[in-house]
Amino acid sequence: MTSRLRVTPRGFSGPGVRFGVPFSALVVALLLGAIILAVAGNDPIEAYRTMFDASLNGWSSMTRTLALATPLILTGLAAAVAFQMRVYNIGGEGQLYLGAIAASYVGLALPETTPMVFMLGAMLVAGATAGALWALLAAIPKAFVNADEIITTLMLNFVALSLMNWLIFGSRSFWRDPRRPVPSGKRLPENAIMPELSGRMHIGIIIAVVAAVLLWWLLQKTSWGFQIRTIGDSPRAARYAGMSVRGKTMAVLALSGALAAIAGVSEVSGVTKGLEPVALTSNIGFTGIIIAVVARSNPLGVVPVSIFLAAITTSGSRLQSIGINVQVVLLLQGLIFLTVTAGEFFVMNKVSLTGSAIAGPADDSSSPATDVAEATA
Amino acid sequence: MAGESTHLEVRNLTKSFYGVPAIDAVNFELRGGEIHGLLGENGAGKSTLCSVLSGLYRPDSGTVSLNGQDVAFRSPQEASSHGIGMVYQHFRLVNSFTVAQNIVLGLSKDQRPRSMRQVERMVGDLAEEFGLHVDPSASIWQLSVGEQQRVEILKQLFRGAKILILDEPTAVLAAQETDRLFDAVSTMVDKGHGVVLVSHKMAETMEYTDRITVLRRGKNGGSVETRDTTPAEVARMMFGDSSAAERTTFDTSHEVGEPVLSLSGVSVLGDHGLPAVNDVSFEVRRGQVVGVAGVAGNGQRELQEAIAGLRPLVEGTITVADTDCSNAGPKATMQAGLAYVPEDRLGVGLAPGLPLEHNMVLKSYDRAPHSRRGVLADAAIEKTMDMLVEDFDVRGNRRGMRVSLMSGGNLQKAILARELNEIHQVLLAAAPTRGLDMAAAEAVRAHIVDERATRRGVLVFSEDLDEIVHMSDVIIVMFKGRIVGSFERDELDLDQVGLLMTGSGLDADDASDQVSAAS
Amino acid sequence: MNDTVLILSIASAIVAATPILFAALGEIITNRSGVMNLGIEGMMLMGGVIGFWAGNGTGSLTMALIAGGFGGVFLALIHAVLAVTLRVDQTVSGLSLVIVGSGLSSFIGTSGEPSLLSARNAVEVTPLLPSALRDLPAVGPILFGHDIVVYIGVLAVIAATYVLNRTPQGLALRAVGEDPAAADAAGISVVKMRYIATAVGGFGAGVGGAYLTVAIVGTWQNGLTAGIGWIAVALVILAGWRPWLALLGALAFGGLNGLGFTLQLAQVNVPSDFLKMMPFIAAYLVVILVSASPNRARRLAAPAALAQPYSREDR
Repeated sequence: MTSRLRVTPRGFSGPGVRFGVPFSALVVALLLGAIILAVAGNDPIEAYRTMFDASLNGWSSMTRTLALATPLILTGLAAAVAFQMRVYNIGGEGQLYLGAIAASYVGLALPETTPMVFMLGAMLVAGATAGALWALLAAIPKAFVNADEIITTLMLNFVALSLMNWLIFGSRSFWRDPRRPVPSGKRLPENAIMPELSGRMHIGIIIAVVAAVLLWWLLQKTSWGFQIRTIGDSPRAARYAGMSVRGKTMAVLALSGALAAIAGVSEVSGVTKGLEPVALTSNIGFTGIIIAVVARSNPLGVVPVSIFLAAITTSGSRLQSIGINVQVVLLLQGLIFLTVTAGEFFVMNKVSLTGSAIAGPADDSSSPATDVAEATA
Repeated sequence: MAGESTHLEVRNLTKSFYGVPAIDAVNFELRGGEIHGLLGENGAGKSTLCSVLSGLYRPDSGTVSLNGQDVAFRSPQEASSHGIGMVYQHFRLVNSFTVAQNIVLGLSKDQRPRSMRQVERMVGDLAEEFGLHVDPSASIWQLSVGEQQRVEILKQLFRGAKILILDEPTAVLAAQETDRLFDAVSTMVDKGHGVVLVSHKMAETMEYTDRITVLRRGKNGGSVETRDTTPAEVARMMFGDSSAAERTTFDTSHEVGEPVLSLSGVSVLGDHGLPAVNDVSFEVRRGQVVGVAGVAGNGQRELQEAIAGLRPLVEGTITVADTDCSNAGPKATMQAGLAYVPEDRLGVGLAPGLPLEHNMVLKSYDRAPHSRRGVLADAAIEKTMDMLVEDFDVRGNRRGMRVSLMSGGNLQKAILARELNEIHQVLLAAAPTRGLDMAAAEAVRAHIVDERATRRGVLVFSEDLDEIVHMSDVIIVMFKGRIVGSFERDELDLDQVGLLMTGSGLDADDASDQVSAAS
Repeated sequence: MNDTVLILSIASAIVAATPILFAALGEIITNRSGVMNLGIEGMMLMGGVIGFWAGNGTGSLTMALIAGGFGGVFLALIHAVLAVTLRVDQTVSGLSLVIVGSGLSSFIGTSGEPSLLSARNAVEVTPLLPSALRDLPAVGPILFGHDIVVYIGVLAVIAATYVLNRTPQGLALRAVGEDPAAADAAGISVVKMRYIATAVGGFGAGVGGAYLTVAIVGTWQNGLTAGIGWIAVALVILAGWRPWLALLGALAFGGLNGLGFTLQLAQVNVPSDFLKMMPFIAAYLVVILVSASPNRARRLAAPAALAQPYSREDR
């Protein structure tokens, strides 16, 4: 008897599968990265050890990683909440810029003496609103004429990027510091800067983690989240049950845009301390998409995954010092995205060799095989 | 290519899925020039056997021999090149292609005529020869279901099929189209072809076949010459001696009350913006089951969606228990008292990827006890699920498992459980027993008919005329989006219903007269 | 003066349209088989870096384009494995190609001593036709002044139209994209067809990226495509999956891309950042307009099984 690979849909994936598969995918991605590094003539073990030391080993490395994880958690949540409803917000990048633009405007426009709580609060509200409105530019066409949100959110990224570049590089706008010859943003007043907690880590990390917990609660424990999950699984079933798919599409995309924009607020306020296009265009929005996929759209999963990807990114500069191409960071992110995506197949399906597995895996005992057999014709 | 004589023999065929045999040591024989009925309940293994014969599945063990030669097909094409062709119940035709394009699709270079015009001529000749008339240059979407079926058969004949497997070919046909189909089938048989007729309808099997093989729970239930047997004997082979085949008869002696669902002059558009339902008016009263008969695709689905508030009305009004629900949307219609068991169980009635507890509160998640001030009460939700699972005997659930892996019968019971648990005045049930095995179908019918006793109204749509007749107090017939006939149970004339279902003897004026008569 | 500006800008629009056209044609073939590949941007970057590298090594435009094409095929096959064989979400899989493509191309582009970043273009791109034609007034620069690749682009449109509509292979490909179950029943290997179509799409994107790098930009930079791949994705929708309309659309986007150059020549002062936005705003509006169009024929042109994974067992 020849043995063949048998693929069986899983009805039910236990935590072992749901967490084990993405974890294995990460390991596979790191192995592939090692192979590529070796082919390029580097020592992969040394590279990985350097990366570990630079990002996770010791408190000061850790704070640098957490500082970078802060916006990633937020853009990761932004992508995750949209994925929950099977809406693809690829516009995190642009929404982040809009958040940064709006927040820095408020920070610069309010009197410098405004108390920090009000200042930061106003910046967060303004940033989130701007991001939500920017997302609605894609959400409204999606809700009313079903215009593909992948394309529209993406196109809006490029528009937002040019807009931000124009504010600093292309004009003498309110945001630009007129005193410096090199185009750069005006520095925010002290009260508009998020206080540091330790090293570079600032209170943005607290906002991000609280946002993750809140979002998880909203999705899992409220009737609003119940509707989102229903629509995500089957819009027709949701409509049948009397839910408003159109309204939720707009609400979720606006929420998603707001979260990505808060990442922008956190960056201008906690890191760049002014509207600095070059520093803000470091793929934070796109990385959020990878994070949401790896975390399987679970808001609580977004936090550790963000920290992991932030660790890879932080270690980039140290790699250069030992003569390794910094671009390996982006490559590793891509590989992780790829292997985790492939891993989804193994979460949804059980792959086994025929012959040995005939006895019937316990996982599938609940699906009557005759039904399956008849349903195939 | 197949030889002159055609003789197919299957010995000890076994095929398992996930370790459970779907067919187990099955034997089957088909001779050239005969129509061989293959009978069995859903899940008896008919489809699996046919899929092995047509090369879709490879058997785990056992042999298939053709004219004395053992054969093992690795693909439907290998089966086809040996002269075995299968016509599926759900046609495998590309809608946007023409008849001729569909027929040559996938043919290899040497099988393929040079030009489309040549193909069209050859198809025309074949159609003439077998009485399967269809325009070779028409696009599939322009054809009726009966015509599409002819294309499927022509496709197989074009490929030189000597053995045709017809999988429940009459399930989608009206009576007159069924006659045409069997005319063509007898022409084939006269020319020496062998035909396997897969069915679970006793009457047509007795009428048209030469021999009958019954499958029961994956095993042979027996093979007989049709002329030597009786329906009762075949039923025993199908269901065993327990005579589960006999349907419960429902008590129909009760008073009807005031209307709980009224439609007046309802017109709606279909998915492509064309009129799908035209000026439909009728009433469902308390304590009454109204059955809508009709061949699929005559506006039933659109009408159901209109009643449920899922499809906008172009004209007319819909009233549910004294509330005007015209264009009020699904939620308001639900709140007015409509329970709705939709045609599509997975994807409409249930969210397939979510667990049962989620699906059981799909319509009541936002109310106490399932949620308070927008926060879900998981314990209450679980309690509701456990209660409904218990009351409606829903089986096969595991905590956290996506419902799509449950069987059709259990899914339907789950939907019914949820819908009947809601406060409601009228139940709308579409194709409630489609694809269910006997026991599950019977349970579902019993639940539906129970509604009559609780003084609610029921509107049931089904393609199964027997079922409609069996359950309903009033039977109305739909054709091309109109009500073309309405009958009280006692005055029912089945022949007349059959004619109306196919639109025979009606023109547009008659049809609209019938509408007013119906209401 | 104004005439010269117009002629030059039309000529430059045609050149700028060429990479978009190759990528869009490839995507049309891929989509027509039912596979959605959003990874054009990544495949173009791979095609760009590999094409530039090959062009540097050989000095040959042909080698650059072919190598670039296979750079795109490499990524496309990854998508095929994920989307066709493993049946994962095609959107996610396509996005992963974008990230892998930009990571891998940047890695390749910055590896080696000296890296491609500092390398000079070794490929010489010359006009195809004799100067007698090229020097004709107006039509000369517009129609006859281009390199061979531009004309191959037009031929590719004709070839794609013919293959899709007039050949049995094209019929089979479209059947797979319209109704894979029907195609499967008719003996067409859905998996094989989709792999081929996805690879063809990758080749188109790779050639487009290579042409962009060696013939238009002339150097390699990380992230060189800057959104052109996404424009191609939008263009396919706009063109309703028809090669001829993709040609027209590519010309329009090429024109918008070259708008800055044109306006500069015409001495109109518009901030360059706003000019850069133009193609993206246009694509954004066009996608919405096409979706909102009451003429549904165009929307119905989308292959019926687009982005739907197929498995025989699922029927």
